[in-house]
Amino acid sequence: MEDGNFLTDGFLRQLINVGEVDILVGLPTHNNARNVGSIVHTIRDGILRGFPRERAVIINADGGSRDGTPELITSVSIDDARPASSVYALRTLHAISTKYAGTPHSGVALRTILAAAELLRAKACIVMSPESESITPEWVSSLLRPVYYDGFDLVTPTYRRHKFDGLLMTNLLYPMVRALYGVRIREAYMPEFGFSGRLGSEFLGKNRWNDGIGENGIELSLTLAAVTSGFRVCQSFLGKKDPVERRSADLVPTLRQTVGVLFSALESDFELWSAVSGSKEVSTTGSDQELVLDPLRVNRKRLREMFVRGVSELESVFQSILSPSTLAELKRIAGLGEEEFRYPAELWVRTVYEFAAAYRKSVINRDHIIQALAPLFRGRVFTFVVENRSGSATDVANNIEGLCLEFERLKPYLLEMWKSKE
Amino acid sequence: MNSNSDKDALWYKDAIIYQVHVRAFHDGNGDGIGDFLGLEQKLDYLQELGITAIWLMPFFPSPLRDDGYDIADYNSVHPSYGTLEHFRKLLDSAHQRGIRVIIEMVLNHTSDQHPWFQEARSSQNNPRRDWYVWSDTDTRYKNTRIIFLDTEKSNWAWDPTSKSFYWHRFFSHQPDLNYDNAEVREQMWNVMKVWLEMGVDGFRLDAVPYLVEREETNCENLPETHSILKELRRRLDQNFPGRMLLAEANQWPADLRPYFGDSDEFHMAFHFPLMPRMFMGLKLEDRKPITEILHQTPEIPPSCQWSLFLRNHDELTLEMVTDIERDYMYDMYARDKTMRLNLGIRRRLAPLLNNDRRRIELMNVMLMSLPGTPIIYYGDEIGMGDNISLGDRNGVRTPMQWTGGWNAGFSTAEPEKLYAPIIHDPVYGYPAVNVTSQKECEHSLYHWMRRIIAVRKSSAVFGRGSIEFLYPANHRTLAYLRQLGNETVLIVNNLSSAAQAVELDLRRYKGNVLIEMFGNNLFPRVGDLPYLLTLGPYQSYWFRLRRV
Amino acid sequence: MREMIVNELTQAVQDLARGFAHYLPRFIVMLILAFVGWLIAYVVKVILRSVLRLIKFDRLSENAGTSQLLAKAALPSATEMLSRFVFWVTWLGFILLGVSVLGILGLQEQVARFFLFLPRLFVAVVILFFGMLAAGFSARAALLASVNANVPSPRLLSLAVRSIIMVFVLSVVFEELGLAEQTMLVAFGIAFGALMLGLAIAFGIGGRDLARRFLEEKFVRNKKEQDEDELSPL
Repeated sequence: MEDGNFLTDGFLRQLINVGEVDILVGLPTHNNARNVGSIVHTIRDGILRGFPRERAVIINADGGSRDGTPELITSVSIDDARPASSVYALRTLHAISTKYAGTPHSGVALRTILAAAELLRAKACIVMSPESESITPEWVSSLLRPVYYDGFDLVTPTYRRHKFDGLLMTNLLYPMVRALYGVRIREAYMPEFGFSGRLGSEFLGKNRWNDGIGENGIELSLTLAAVTSGFRVCQSFLGKKDPVERRSADLVPTLRQTVGVLFSALESDFELWSAVSGSKEVSTTGSDQELVLDPLRVNRKRLREMFVRGVSELESVFQSILSPSTLAELKRIAGLGEEEFRYPAELWVRTVYEFAAAYRKSVINRDHIIQALAPLFRGRVFTFVVENRSGSATDVANNIEGLCLEFERLKPYLLEMWKSKE
Repeated sequence: MNSNSDKDALWYKDAIIYQVHVRAFHDGNGDGIGDFLGLEQKLDYLQELGITAIWLMPFFPSPLRDDGYDIADYNSVHPSYGTLEHFRKLLDSAHQRGIRVIIEMVLNHTSDQHPWFQEARSSQNNPRRDWYVWSDTDTRYKNTRIIFLDTEKSNWAWDPTSKSFYWHRFFSHQPDLNYDNAEVREQMWNVMKVWLEMGVDGFRLDAVPYLVEREETNCENLPETHSILKELRRRLDQNFPGRMLLAEANQWPADLRPYFGDSDEFHMAFHFPLMPRMFMGLKLEDRKPITEILHQTPEIPPSCQWSLFLRNHDELTLEMVTDIERDYMYDMYARDKTMRLNLGIRRRLAPLLNNDRRRIELMNVMLMSLPGTPIIYYGDEIGMGDNISLGDRNGVRTPMQWTGGWNAGFSTAEPEKLYAPIIHDPVYGYPAVNVTSQKECEHSLYHWMRRIIAVRKSSAVFGRGSIEFLYPANHRTLAYLRQLGNETVLIVNNLSSAAQAVELDLRRYKGNVLIEMFGNNLFPRVGDLPYLLTLGPYQSYWFRLRRV
Repeated sequence: MREMIVNELTQAVQDLARGFAHYLPRFIVMLILAFVGWLIAYVVKVILRSVLRLIKFDRLSENAGTSQLLAKAALPSATEMLSRFVFWVTWLGFILLGVSVLGILGLQEQVARFFLFLPRLFVAVVILFFGMLAAGFSARAALLASVNANVPSPRLLSLAVRSIIMVFVLSVVFEELGLAEQTMLVAFGIAFGALMLGLAIAFGIGGRDLARRFLEEKFVRNKKEQDEDELSPL
């Protein structure tokens, strides 16, 4: 198993001492000392409450924190060498940490966790995010139970979140994965999720890790791999999701990790998605989606401005990517005033599909294609915010559903572009 | 045997005790019931095994509604087992073979057939009325728990004869004696004196926490109880030095500690909480329950000793564990609810461990090497099975299996006359499991038990030494050091069903060579690096550390 | 006198005939070489065109920006241009080879110099091509980055990046070709320096606000513009 070389000697020794486990909780971190203490205590509570008899381990894959993050995590371990612990547990609970080589990024962290899960023959695993402040102990059960007891291989989360939170998910990733892969997975790119040892091993072995596939985030790849390889996928409602603090400068890296990965996957998964039509629900525990409708002040003006500037300044780039009619339409709406401006669903879907086709043909450098999508996405966000600013939760849900159906309806258009100039 | 030499004063620390049910062991007169004669005939067997003391379960005259713990006459023996003369002969024969004899003494209660109770209940003015605890209502002492939950609904029983309630912590036919009455205390000492003068080496005092009752308490472990016990001990030491008192008190370790007093109460006490945790640790494949309970176990006076056991005549008690632990034990060891009784599991050692030889050995390894005096329940040395269809706890009190022949060699009587049927299923039945065939087979459990007892006896460190746990990172291994003077022994146990690697921090013993105690082979010297050992499933190592 | 003239004439005709006899075979060889060269050049052109089509050379040159340049000049595609260029160079090479066979002294020297020049020409073309490719890539990268970072005048920035790189590439090409090397180097130095100075002044004065905003974003994390909530895309 070549993954043995990937892990350090010290970590391997720790894994030997842990031995085979039933449950593995992975926690990738990098300088998360602010929140990780309470999060890992909550995780421990979740394990003790939901799985008191099972052999469990918490594995921290750390990117080189300097703020004491690993120590905060390993301090929650329960063992007889430290009998002063006031927490009651039936058996030993290990919490171990390792620093993975290289610069910190989630791909390597997840690979470390997958490798550990395979070596420890964990039956059910979850990966938790060190940024989810709203986590409760029940999250652990919600993500583990479907794998441990019901035989699912991948559990993706669903949340209660603000209607304007996660618009990349609702306007692009969810509908596109749904239309192309035929599965209605709300959060295909997930900060926390559950998976079976089977899926972990398969994913670990299948990917060519040294080709840089881990560079841009594996979570979405894992979801797609599960779907294409016929693993059982389900969703589980967790609860409230706090919006993660982001700056507008983070949009492009986010697009790389999500849209870039999705577009790459379309090439290898062509056989499957080209044959799929329509979409099916996946088994869901709890609600599929819950929307919070609190008022939110959004700088709509800036969104539209960035869209308009993008369309005008990047025209030469768009000429290589988009069809003349789509580009003309974009230029037309860019010329509209703020009151009339709308980036309709059909145009957005065409835009995305044309980008996907251009990505496939590498009309220009692929990373540039992804970057070019950013200003257009902002325009779409503007429209979504305007259309849903005063709607009820049902209205918003219907709008999203409408967008999804549009993605499904225009799938032949993508196929046509895909196959042309083969 | 009963010499006053200092060497023998602490004999119980080095003892290997064998718990035997007279009725179940061997029938000397062919009436289908085991007796003293039969037991005497088997003393050679016990001596060969390596036993140095036997503990006899109650043999007093009794209606046998609680297997002899309901005593109807303290000064005699039950006719089924023989006569007092037979008993004396047994005593002498045992002493000749260097085997001490410990007998039961039920202090807390008598049978309702005992003449004392018959008198006490006859009228409210009877001189012995106050020998028992009476009440007009059944509401006194309401904070007291019920011990035999499966059969009793209350600690008070109505006596129609004297039209009042009497107190009983156990079965309703076992009324509690009133220890606030000086006459009772004096009488019980006299009872004990009789047996001591006959030559018994010690008493197992049954149900001692419950001697005294007081309102607003749980009527257990009260200071008055301890005073009475201390008085008993004082009189014992004064008149019969070198004899031993063993407490049966199913309590948490902290509550057990007072029973040792300042070496002025009991010599020994059963470590009840450890026993279920050994089974739990084995199933969990995690040493945590075992080390934690021993960590919580308080220090006891140097002349005192814990008594360790794996199983006994009662159910495997789960009173002293948490609810989660109890549920776990039930699910792991007694899925079939008929096996559960009174917050415990009524099975023998071998069936509990699914007849897994390796696990049986591992449990005995821990029994023999953890700090305390080991007690072996009769039949467990050959891996006897049980019969759950016999009610209450009788399933673990079936006739001893000596041979594969007539009545398993237990009795020459007709099989229908036996006090209980012999186990005859294909796995544990007497044709498969019996002393004779095991003696013939060099690798039988019997021979293995002989060897481990011999190894334990080869060093005083096990009975008298200190214990220090090592906490290797591999939680599936249990490792500890036993030390006495210059001698150090290292025990390493693998609690897991899979092979394990473990690294031990033995830096303090750098330069020592390890000598494995069963084969006397040398193992590498301890250096600066952690000492790496690999163990097969359920395997143990006993090492003597020797600086060469 | 008549005899002298006849002798001279005869001599002259003989010289001519000798010269013919000397040069005619070589001339014929030269023609053969030219013909064979044409054939080979044609075959090479066809093979090259197929190869270029296979590796989608047109796409590459589109990225480099050469296709756009050619289209503006109403010239055929890059694949075609390169194939033809190689055809002509190959044929010319064979023709010159044939000329050298003629044995005309001064000509031979020039032909030799031509053949010596060919590798350098080839390298220069390659440098130019890849330079244009790099310039195009970097210009687009700068354009996208500045649009997404909301930097003002992204196209100006993109053009600046492209220009800098092209100036550098051209100076290297000229140096490789050995044309006015010193002049080009100096010119590049001046142009580059001037450009940098100009940009510095332009960005320094004009981009004051931008610089402040940039620094604020980097070092003062909690600043939110006008009390609004930042939307999280995921």
